[in-house]
Amino acid sequence: MTEVGFGCMITSDGSVVERAADLGITYFDTARGYQGGNNERMVGAALKKKRSGITLSSKSHSKTKQEALQDLDTSLRELGTDHLDIWYLHNKTSPSEVTDDLIEAQQIAKKAGKIRFAGVSTHKGQAELIPFLAKHPQVDVILSAYNFTLEPPVSAAIAQAAAAGKGVVGMKVMAGGFRTVKPADPAYAKLHRDGGLLAALKWVLHDPNIGTTVPSMTDNEQLDENLKAMAQPFGPAEEKILTARLEHIAPLYCRTCGRCDGMCRQGLPVSDVLRILTYADGYGQFALGRERFRELAPEHAGARCAACPECTVECPYGVRVAQRVARAQELFAC
Amino acid sequence: MLKLICGLVLSVAAAGVLAAAEEAPVPACNLVPGWSQAGPDRTYVADNLFEYMDGNAEGYLIYGFLKMQGVTCKKGDVTFVVDLSDFGDADLAYGMFTSNVDGRQPTQKIGMNGQIVPRRAFFAKGRYFLEIAANPEGDYTAALKEWTGALEKLIPGSTDLPPALAWFPTGQRQSLRLVPESVLGLRVLKRGYAAQYDYGKAFVVLEATPQSAGTVMEQLRKRFGGTTPAAIADEAFQATDQYLGRLCVFRKGRYIGGYAISQEGMDPVPLSKALAEKVVKTD
Repeated sequence: MTEVGFGCMITSDGSVVERAADLGITYFDTARGYQGGNNERMVGAALKKKRSGITLSSKSHSKTKQEALQDLDTSLRELGTDHLDIWYLHNKTSPSEVTDDLIEAQQIAKKAGKIRFAGVSTHKGQAELIPFLAKHPQVDVILSAYNFTLEPPVSAAIAQAAAAGKGVVGMKVMAGGFRTVKPADPAYAKLHRDGGLLAALKWVLHDPNIGTTVPSMTDNEQLDENLKAMAQPFGPAEEKILTARLEHIAPLYCRTCGRCDGMCRQGLPVSDVLRILTYADGYGQFALGRERFRELAPEHAGARCAACPECTVECPYGVRVAQRVARAQELFAC
Repeated sequence: MLKLICGLVLSVAAAGVLAAAEEAPVPACNLVPGWSQAGPDRTYVADNLFEYMDGNAEGYLIYGFLKMQGVTCKKGDVTFVVDLSDFGDADLAYGMFTSNVDGRQPTQKIGMNGQIVPRRAFFAKGRYFLEIAANPEGDYTAALKEWTGALEKLIPGSTDLPPALAWFPTGQRQSLRLVPESVLGLRVLKRGYAAQYDYGKAFVVLEATPQSAGTVMEQLRKRFGGTTPAAIADEAFQATDQYLGRLCVFRKGRYIGGYAISQEGMDPVPLSKALAEKVVKTD
């Protein structure tokens, strides 16, 4: 399987998928829920003459065995194939969501020859969920959000899963570090021009515990750019780009790692307050920020950073906590 | 901020401006008798939509998603998850609808357009996209009709379809959708409508000016190479592409359109000529 796969979720046209297969990409990922099912149909039509050389995966969001198996049959029909190579339980965030019922659905599908491997996809909560999946005997593949901005425990969890013999697939490989940069922002064009997105993909690929990746690809230009990542390894130039990006976002970007829990002497849920502030500062949704702030416990909403002689919260990633929390209080508190 | 420059149809974009002042209220469960709210209201913006629907958020963001407000409503053991999303203008909200609609199932005239299937209903009206998901398994068509009827009255905005939809022939058409970026998989074709037919694809893209559209035509000629001129509208060419098939691309004012034909025996030139004749110039 190629280390750069193809995330089909927002692909604009099936011809891009077909061309990717001709250019040598061998792994394609979709989901039952993408575009109300239209995405699976597009992928199926694009790959119908190439199925034998392709690793194909899809996902089900369903919460029961019966519904998940119905989803699988629909996926097979829409994709025009008699089996999936990997079938993921879609978007799980904690071990309790990976139920015995859903695992049984995957085992039934495996015995029926409808899937080759059983997988679980996860976007958050990886530090807890991935070690659980690593030990789960019936989980073969883990599809995880993974990029250069995530905290070290995620890398450690992925290493643990790989050591346990699980296949690990990286997704959201570029978005994390650049999510805050909108197309209207001059930095957006610069990131493209200076190779920021490609550097982020290479960063994931140079992790030996990652089997393959599924960056979302919209068009042929993005496909051509991503293919370069396979030929050009991660090096000092890419490290410099990503370091600069991290420095830029670090004072503002809370990674919700939770390591500040309990550090505030007034008991503030710091990461919640920082997230609430992002609604106003990062996205111009002041009303939403104020609404969420007012939902905090009264003692938290009423707390003031000015009451402390100095801040006891230290962010391991350099977020200026005292300054940011004080700003939230200034903006939202009555 | 309304995306007027990129909007495909100016009249629809203008309607979006007028609708900007009209905020839709948060859906309420007592809108339909017998239902009550389960849990708190939900509000999400582009930066945190992934917290609600990680794994599917990008499908919303690509259409310019701004904000979602939702509630979960309950009647007995049945729950309806009701979510109302603001896409900033009617063109994009309709685009979100086209992304989700199952072309093999009938649509209903709810707002601009809607679709109700046993466990799901959704429609676009003005700059809003409304969706309801029903649980557990079952056929909730009747209740979904009642809900969409009530919600349609609640949501402000135009019920007029984007005029561009009428330009595309309906025979052998599988789908017609707004592609939010990279029409035909080509980044130079920024945003437009694309129809999938049994025999190939048709598309129409709107550029900012006739001059910029002319520049895009030049880029396309270079991209495909070996093009031959065709006598359609302001300028046109034919080309062949390994993946798109036999192409005919025309420019009419700010519009770029054409056909990509994959089936033998079909000629993209007369099809493109007919399409160009329907395209209404707005410059």
